[in-house]
Amino acid sequence: MDLMKLRAERRSRFWGKEVLPYLGYVLQSGVAALMLFALIVFSAWYTSLVQHIPAGLPIRWIMLVLFVPLTVNSSFRTYLAPADTVFLLPQESRMKSYFQGSWTSGVVYKLLGLALIFLISWPIYVRSDGQPKPFWLFLLVLIALKLLASYGCWKELRMVSRRAAFAYRVLRYVVLALCVAAWIWQPAGRSLIFIVLLAATYTAALRLPAKHPVAWERLIAQEKVHSGRVLMVLGWFVNVPGREQRVYARKWLSWAGNNIPWKPEAAYRYLLMKSFVRSDILGIVLRVGILAAFLAWWQRGSNVGIGIYWFFVFLAGIQLSSLLRFHSESFWLHVYPIAPGSRRRNAIKLAFQIQLTFAAVTWLPLLGAGLERMGTVLMALLGGIVLCLLSRFFASRKKTEDDEDDE
Amino acid sequence: MNGNTVLDIQGLSGGYSLNRPVLHDVSFQVNPGEMVGLIGLNGAGKSTTMKHILGLMTPQKGEIRVRGKKRDEDSETYHGSLAFVPESPLLYDDMTVREHLEFTARAYNVPRGDYEERADRLSRIFRMQDKMDSLSTQLSKGMRQKVMIMCAFVARPSLYIIDEPFLGLDPLGIRSLLDFMVELKEGGSSILLSSHILSTIENYCDRFVVLHQGSIIAQGTLEAIEAQAGTTGAGLEDMFYTLVQGRD
Repeated sequence: MDLMKLRAERRSRFWGKEVLPYLGYVLQSGVAALMLFALIVFSAWYTSLVQHIPAGLPIRWIMLVLFVPLTVNSSFRTYLAPADTVFLLPQESRMKSYFQGSWTSGVVYKLLGLALIFLISWPIYVRSDGQPKPFWLFLLVLIALKLLASYGCWKELRMVSRRAAFAYRVLRYVVLALCVAAWIWQPAGRSLIFIVLLAATYTAALRLPAKHPVAWERLIAQEKVHSGRVLMVLGWFVNVPGREQRVYARKWLSWAGNNIPWKPEAAYRYLLMKSFVRSDILGIVLRVGILAAFLAWWQRGSNVGIGIYWFFVFLAGIQLSSLLRFHSESFWLHVYPIAPGSRRRNAIKLAFQIQLTFAAVTWLPLLGAGLERMGTVLMALLGGIVLCLLSRFFASRKKTEDDEDDE
Repeated sequence: MNGNTVLDIQGLSGGYSLNRPVLHDVSFQVNPGEMVGLIGLNGAGKSTTMKHILGLMTPQKGEIRVRGKKRDEDSETYHGSLAFVPESPLLYDDMTVREHLEFTARAYNVPRGDYEERADRLSRIFRMQDKMDSLSTQLSKGMRQKVMIMCAFVARPSLYIIDEPFLGLDPLGIRSLLDFMVELKEGGSSILLSSHILSTIENYCDRFVVLHQGSIIAQGTLEAIEAQAGTTGAGLEDMFYTLVQGRD
């Protein structure tokens, strides 16, 4: 069995048959055009920022916040399926050739993305930092750190103990954060010695835990998560068939949804709320919210802050639109006595309530502008509410295949 | 048709394609307080019959009434009158056991107090107390099947459609399920049960419907089935064997 060929076939099947057919619709969708517009606005804002850099810009912190996640984050597409535990298990000793492609594509594309962000951030870094590092050396260090993180992540996936894998994941974040911080703040020579020593210790530590030759179940679960995420992003633009999303236990949020009215018409909202609090979407909305609040606070004195606020409210609306596709193929919604149309109504209502909360919370930092801008800040809130109403309006107008099943 | 009949199927023909129906003129009833066993070989049409009752498939001919209502007349009342336990557990990965029960209770409009009482009792009967706050992904297959059964029982509709419920259950789980079904039956609920474990259901079902290649080849009490099979003093398994033998 040619395992490299098998992986290549699975890869082209996923991208060619499951993703490519939807790309045309993504380009046609108004949301894609709006994102392009947002990109143009960002470019204009960034150019102006580079030309008029504010005094005391915390550029080293900005670089740290930007590059720690970009270097640490690693993932690998294996295209493994549950049946592989039966059919590919006999090939376990030869699976290295199968995973070769996963490793290459998992690293190369992320390195390209990292280099692109580095190129974009370079003008502001070199103009703001008193002692900037040389361009090529900075890029090489980032590439080396990215490779180190990818290697660590791959080893974590093979670890037998889940606890050990989690501990090493935390260690990867700490090691990479220390390396990036040392590189940004310390002189090049000293920080390079530190990075090499730390990387060597980390690599040696990675050899300690027991590992599976192939961690089948974990890799299959990871693959499900990654393919689900790709389809989730596509789902922001077009209707794609539902895929299982990653589930986070989040016990601290188990109370969410318990106060939803106890009546059949609201039963689906209860289900949706439980799914939302344990989904990727909540994590994304929270991260976007924190970023929005931070940027809005930073630019609170100018209209740019309001623009940023509106953009993030809009972005939250797009992400929350995924709620409309949750449980689109649920068996029980056909069997349980749930009123026709209730699914869509509840999903729209819940997405609206969450977006409205998002709009209210991320608006608060704008209040820091003081009393003299209170009128403008209140108008910003009004604009945020209008955006929420518009999201609800478009969601209720959008016809989906689910409606036919629903009504 | 008896005015009190809970499930009434008349002349049902249907399947996945118009040209090749799986079911041929199937008619039977389930009365209040009755447990009816639906038995047949693999591919006989048991699951297709259940899918038609659940409204997942539309009959090509004939009609299905649950408590006198057809699905297209009043979908909510129709679905509110029945609960289903599938052969393989179908659970939401992002909900705990307790939340599955609560979602079911909300959908079936079970008062909150009744839900709490039933959930507590069911968790004890099926030995799931310490798993109530676990996500469904953290459960074994048998436990997942127990959750399906508990969800159906928390709803307390008039009719239970139960498809191969014993698969994956441990002996204590099977006993608990059988005892609970008897209790429900005595309380006036009706059960349509499909199973291949004939020796077990033989002692619990009031009547049997024997399906073969999409048609009913025998139905009635154990005595009636015995008469139709032409056997004497045999168990249900032997009667069934005699009925289907040589019919292919």
